[in-house]
Amino acid sequence: MPGSREMSTNALSFRNVSAGYRNRPVLRGVGFEIGEGEFVSVIGPNGSGKSTMLKTATGLIRPDEGRVELFGRDVASLKPRERASLIGVVPQKLDSPMAFTVSEIVMFGLGSTGRPWGMHGSKELDSVERAMIYTNVLDLKDRMFNELSAGEQQRAALAMALVQEPRIIMLDESIAHLDINHSQEVLRILMNINRERRITVLLVSHDLNLAAQIADRLLLMENGRLVMNGSPGEVMQEELLSSVYGCELRVRRDPFGGHPVVTGALDTALRRPALRKRLHVIGGGGSGIELFRRLSIEGFEVSAGVLNQLDSDAEAARALDIPCALEQPFSAIGNEAFEEARLMVSEADGVVVSAVPFGSGNVVNLELAADALRAGKPVWMASGIAARDYTVDKAATLAAERLRNDGAVEWSGIHELMTRLERDIKNRQ
Amino acid sequence: MAFLLAVPLLLGVSLLVGPSGIGLPDSSTPSGQAILSLRFGRFFMGIMVGAALSASGTVFQAILRNPLAEPYVLGVSGGAGLGAALSILIGGSLLGAVGLPVTAFIFAVLTLMAVYGIAGQGGGSPSVYSLILSGVIISAICSSVIMFLVSTADIDGMHTVVWWMLGNLQPGDLREQLVPLFFITVAVGLLWMLAPSLNILTLGRDMAHYRGLNANFVILASLLLATLLAATAVSMGGMIGFVGLIVPHVMRALFGPDHRWLVPASAIGGGAFLVLCDAIARSVMAPVEIPVGVVTALCGGPFFLVILRRKMSNAWIA
Repeated sequence: MPGSREMSTNALSFRNVSAGYRNRPVLRGVGFEIGEGEFVSVIGPNGSGKSTMLKTATGLIRPDEGRVELFGRDVASLKPRERASLIGVVPQKLDSPMAFTVSEIVMFGLGSTGRPWGMHGSKELDSVERAMIYTNVLDLKDRMFNELSAGEQQRAALAMALVQEPRIIMLDESIAHLDINHSQEVLRILMNINRERRITVLLVSHDLNLAAQIADRLLLMENGRLVMNGSPGEVMQEELLSSVYGCELRVRRDPFGGHPVVTGALDTALRRPALRKRLHVIGGGGSGIELFRRLSIEGFEVSAGVLNQLDSDAEAARALDIPCALEQPFSAIGNEAFEEARLMVSEADGVVVSAVPFGSGNVVNLELAADALRAGKPVWMASGIAARDYTVDKAATLAAERLRNDGAVEWSGIHELMTRLERDIKNRQ
Repeated sequence: MAFLLAVPLLLGVSLLVGPSGIGLPDSSTPSGQAILSLRFGRFFMGIMVGAALSASGTVFQAILRNPLAEPYVLGVSGGAGLGAALSILIGGSLLGAVGLPVTAFIFAVLTLMAVYGIAGQGGGSPSVYSLILSGVIISAICSSVIMFLVSTADIDGMHTVVWWMLGNLQPGDLREQLVPLFFITVAVGLLWMLAPSLNILTLGRDMAHYRGLNANFVILASLLLATLLAATAVSMGGMIGFVGLIVPHVMRALFGPDHRWLVPASAIGGGAFLVLCDAIARSVMAPVEIPVGVVTALCGGPFFLVILRRKMSNAWIA
């Protein structure tokens, strides 16, 4: 919890709360505190209990065990009107089947806090107008709510919540499905509210990066439990997130804001079909792993071989679903595997030779590169092969020389390779 | 504005029209007096039944947030009808003047509970779709039971029930109408008071809760009041369709969705519509009287279609 803010009152505290629906418990022993004025985001995979937590926080669901306190008072004991003056909720999507105008919808925020029978005085109407100016929906006030765009609807829903003049605003995945321009606008409004008016914000979000970017603190939920409660830097850990979300995730720092940014490993799969170019990698001993990864990310289809089974390149290829010609472990490359690799090369658009050490067992792989050159396909070969040549008769060095003469291009770093690849492949297209 | 002028005009017409001819009956003759009081009685019945059905439909549509909701679809009218039929056949005079509407109301509430019970099997609050589905099922069961009762009843009872089922605004004893009048006035009045809450409830139960409304209480109260209206209307005028479903839509198209206007507008509009239909029902083929339930859809349908085609966007956008 950031110590810089004064934490005299907790806006919201969950004390060992278990809650859920009939026959279906969702939250299990959740405990945390949110100080007044904090901007906290709840993250977690679908079904982890984020929305149930919000419903419990607003008293819509009574906890089976434990206690939920709003500004020091038990939520269950609050009168509906008091509750509404403390919490404003912006739903995922506000749905108004009947043809109410934007200003009518925003005025609903006055709820039963206005005068009886919805006859509002000028003070209330002023606060409605203020909220509409603040969320930039005043121009839309006479439009039908249902005819607005999603972003406009979300701003109107926010205005409705603001009209209640709550001390904490809770948003249930209200932003993630908006277009970026709309989500940015809503976020900016939220951050203003939080900073200028010191209204506490609790944002339930499935967008990790958005949450990490704007929240002071993140609550990470998994299976109805709170698994991590801390600053974005503390929560956005590759291993933690990967295990909670059950997939491979990478975390790096945003070059501009410095906040952690999560990316999935999906990009490799997503970008693959874009190029429809296949490269065959001759590697081994771990020299090919980075190539596999980068080439996949760049959108190439990749094949590999011949590799020995259990070789670290072979394992990586298997993990990445890269087709691979395989030989028995610790054996010299035999005919069958070689022919398989030759077939792969014939289907590839080029061959990349990694910085693999060559011995008598695998030097035959260089013939694959020669094959490719004969077929008019480009070959990119890691330079400095002589230092990695363990064959008795310097066969690999000689073979490399022949390849160079036949048109193979040398590369010395992965960045150089990528730029060459881009240039060569683009020239060919 | 035109609407406000049209209402008393229509009512005037209905007093002037009847099987005995067009024109104000001569109140100096005994027969003229009888005709006038008969027409006034019919007028009174029409206003009450129409207002009750239409206000009830308005509320069901708001609470369920569904344009198809109405007392019939939810089985409430069917249940009330069963209660009324039983009461007619077995003898509702047990409870005196209160008997018919109260029995109908009790049956309607039981039906509503059954519908909610069936629809809410999954736990939590039932979805609108399961509510309507189980409402239709319960409704079908109720009408089967009514059919059975009719088919096994004696000729007299059969005639009374069938005539009542077709929709009939023939007033009985004036004192018998005081109880329904009381029910309907109170229920429409209370629903009108709940109008701002009904507005917020159109955004859904959760949103109403967040806006500081005791949502469950408002839903329960308005469902009970709407059920009371439907049951009273059924016990008075029989199974008159169309009014509870279409009049609220037309009123919404004309006056917008704000229930502070919509509840009274539906009540007045529904009442006026039924009075007019009744005037037609008893005059067109005089001296034979067409059941008013036939006229409502037959005449109202095309007229309202025109209004809805023009102004549907004011009413419901889903």
